Amino acid sequence: MNQAALKVENLTIAYHKKPVVEDVSFEVPEGNLIGIIGPNGAGKSTLIKGILELIPKISGHITIKGSTYKSMRKSIGYVPQRESVDWDFPTNALDVVMMGRYGHLGWLRRPGKSERQKGMECLEKVGMAEYANRQISQLSGGQQQRIFLARALAQEADIYFMDEPFVGVDAATEKAIIQLLMELKEKGKTVLVVHHDLSTVKEYFDWTMLLNKKVMKIGPTEEVFIPEYLQATYGGRLAILSDTKSGLLLK
Amino acid sequence: MGFLKSIGGVLAALLVLTGCGNGTAENDNGNGKLEVVTTTGMIGDLVENIGGKHVEVTSLMGPGVDPHLYKATQGDVKTLDSADMIFYNGLHLEGKMTDIFEMMSKDKPTIAVTEDFKENQLRKVGATEHDPHVWFDVKLWIVAAEAVKKELIAKDPDHEAEYRENYEEYVLQLEELDKYVHEEINKVPEDQRVLVTAHDAFGYYGQSYGLDVRGLQGINTLSEYGSKDVTDMRNYLVENKIKAIFIESSVPRKAIEAVIQGAGKQGHKVEIGGELFSDAMGERGTEEGTYIGMVRHNTDTIVRALK
Amino acid sequence: MNIMDIITDPNTRWILLGTMFLGLSSGVIGSFAYLRKQSLLGDTLAHAALPGICVAFMLTGVKSTSYFLIGAALAGLVAVFLISVLTRYSKIKQDAALGIVLSSFFGFGIVMLTQIQQSEYGNQSGLDTFLFGQTASMVMSDVYMMMTVSFILIFTCTVFFKEFKLLSFDPGFAKGMGLPVVFLDYFIMMLIVAAVVIGIQAVGVVLMASLLITPAVSARYWTERLHIMVILSGIFGMLSGVSGTLISTSVNDLPTGPLIVLSATVWFFFSMLFAPKRGVLSSIWRRVSTKKKYSLEQDRRKGSHSS
Repeated sequence: MNQAALKVENLTIAYHKKPVVEDVSFEVPEGNLIGIIGPNGAGKSTLIKGILELIPKISGHITIKGSTYKSMRKSIGYVPQRESVDWDFPTNALDVVMMGRYGHLGWLRRPGKSERQKGMECLEKVGMAEYANRQISQLSGGQQQRIFLARALAQEADIYFMDEPFVGVDAATEKAIIQLLMELKEKGKTVLVVHHDLSTVKEYFDWTMLLNKKVMKIGPTEEVFIPEYLQATYGGRLAILSDTKSGLLLK
Repeated sequence: MGFLKSIGGVLAALLVLTGCGNGTAENDNGNGKLEVVTTTGMIGDLVENIGGKHVEVTSLMGPGVDPHLYKATQGDVKTLDSADMIFYNGLHLEGKMTDIFEMMSKDKPTIAVTEDFKENQLRKVGATEHDPHVWFDVKLWIVAAEAVKKELIAKDPDHEAEYRENYEEYVLQLEELDKYVHEEINKVPEDQRVLVTAHDAFGYYGQSYGLDVRGLQGINTLSEYGSKDVTDMRNYLVENKIKAIFIESSVPRKAIEAVIQGAGKQGHKVEIGGELFSDAMGERGTEEGTYIGMVRHNTDTIVRALK
Repeated sequence: MNIMDIITDPNTRWILLGTMFLGLSSGVIGSFAYLRKQSLLGDTLAHAALPGICVAFMLTGVKSTSYFLIGAALAGLVAVFLISVLTRYSKIKQDAALGIVLSSFFGFGIVMLTQIQQSEYGNQSGLDTFLFGQTASMVMSDVYMMMTVSFILIFTCTVFFKEFKLLSFDPGFAKGMGLPVVFLDYFIMMLIVAAVVIGIQAVGVVLMASLLITPAVSARYWTERLHIMVILSGIFGMLSGVSGTLISTSVNDLPTGPLIVLSATVWFFFSMLFAPKRGVLSSIWRRVSTKKKYSLEQDRRKGSHSS
């Protein structure tokens, strides 16, 4: 029996006594692209941060491929939101990507030739090889996003968490990214993506999680991404144009 | 509307309270003594000796306190407020208290013991300033004693006779002290009659008793010294083969130590001749805790080291 | 004063070496503080050192530099802890937390300083000098201490360079990767405490912040590579120490500490104006020449159109 790539049990996270993520439990099978969607403030970003222990949680148990989160740290890749960082930092694209290798290097070793090589490979995969020596503040939003992705690839993980990787990114970049994710899936990797654009969910993701503080529904996209569940998740702030194609958010 | 009214009430009450604070600076201690507050211990000692049992003296600056840097606290202001008379040094020794003296002088006699000093008795420093360390010339200190006597009599004429008598007795002691210092200094060979200290507190002493005086920090410890001052001082010691330099109780010794170590590196051994009392006297109750004791101690220390 | 004079003069040599190492260590650790937007942390820790020094004096009754430094270091650690607690467990942002800790600790320190001033302890004047430093009185033992701390700082920053880099750039990612972020946070802050504690002897509590901030900011103008920035920052720190000392050696009454700070500022303005790419003049020139090029292009096109 295939063990779940990720198993979350009773995860609750609160900011100042108000629960943002409430008693969330779910399992996710390996080798899938999973989209996490929900209205603003649903706790999608918080969920990821809670799983990765970036913020404190009130309760919850995380299992990755059957083992504890802590022991599986090396198998996890993370692409944070672009605004989480001040890009006016004295470093270049390749440097940032190599940071993804620090986990494998350990404490005392310095990044050397093989790290540079791996870094360049990852830059190539995201189409940024020629920008290797460019200072990161000189990159466009889409390029910065790609750098973050390359860094996550450099982590050589089995399961990836991505926080809104398509925000503010041009169409070409989006296509390139989705291409990469498909490749990862083919290699048997699992990717969880916090996604903001309902119109592309069906196209991109095998599985979908509908989140609004609690897990409204999770499962294969065809089963889950239907008007009934969507309405429940978005609480009537949704106008669906055509039945199975796309949805429009109304505020 | 009610809120504004209550604010107004509170403000009015505060005003009344602050108003009440002043004007009750009457002497209300039961024993009939004059309450005198002085700044330095030296002045306090002077007033005690002349005032005798008719005065109760409080000195704000204790041993080891640097009067150039001293900032009066709330407690000090209260003490000054309840005094009948205030004596201070003047000539900007108590550099940070000028405003307070002005304020106090409106209610009570606030006297600089140097007020009667003539221009030719004072040492000039720079264009307009005078060296305030007048107490080290015992003869000059006698002039200060006179000012104290005069003011005590003015404030408390009932005890004039006793003040005069105390004054005469004390002046005799001071004159003996003056002679003592002259005699002792004469025991030091002429070429060794150089007094090097942390700051220029001994100008009057040197002038009066025949010593060349050099300080590292200038007249006022408020001024910071730089590395050139340190190297200049060190060079002076080395060139003139000075045997000893002196630290002061109220000024940090790090600078002096740097000078000594530097001279050592240049092959000239300089020792710390001892600790002098410059801007403050010694511990209360000890010999050095009195003016006469302080001057004696300084003289003995200097002579012993330089002989 | 020629080079030989300067090098052979022992006091000057000590001050030069001491301030060089001081500038070097402040510059290096200051770069990381700057990038982590914790520059004012250095200021806070420096001001927080004052009560630590006072408590050390009150407890031991001895004016010993080592005790003072231990007191300063402990106070710094308490301050670091408080700042962490305030930012982590309340809604207060870092700049407000720094402000709160800085002013309350410093105020407390001044109160204690005044208390000591009033007490019979005497000779608190050594504590006053921690406000503005005593660079001019540096001796070889000071140099050794600064050298040791410098080496420790540089060694640590080299060994943990990639961790510090990641932590400064993207602490979220670092945490996700399993880096002990909280521990490293405290570690860097402790390194800042070390730099501050040796620095305040030289330039004092009030001015220490500038030594941590200014060289780092100056270095930022010249490079986009972190390791170069850190090295440059150390060099600017060293240069400030050396130039400040040299100026103070040639003129009397110029306190060395403040001069070092002024030198650091001069280097900063120089960097800000003249650095290629990030400097002001370079940006202006680029804009002007781009405009020129653009208008030439326009003219050319207009020309070809009309013909």
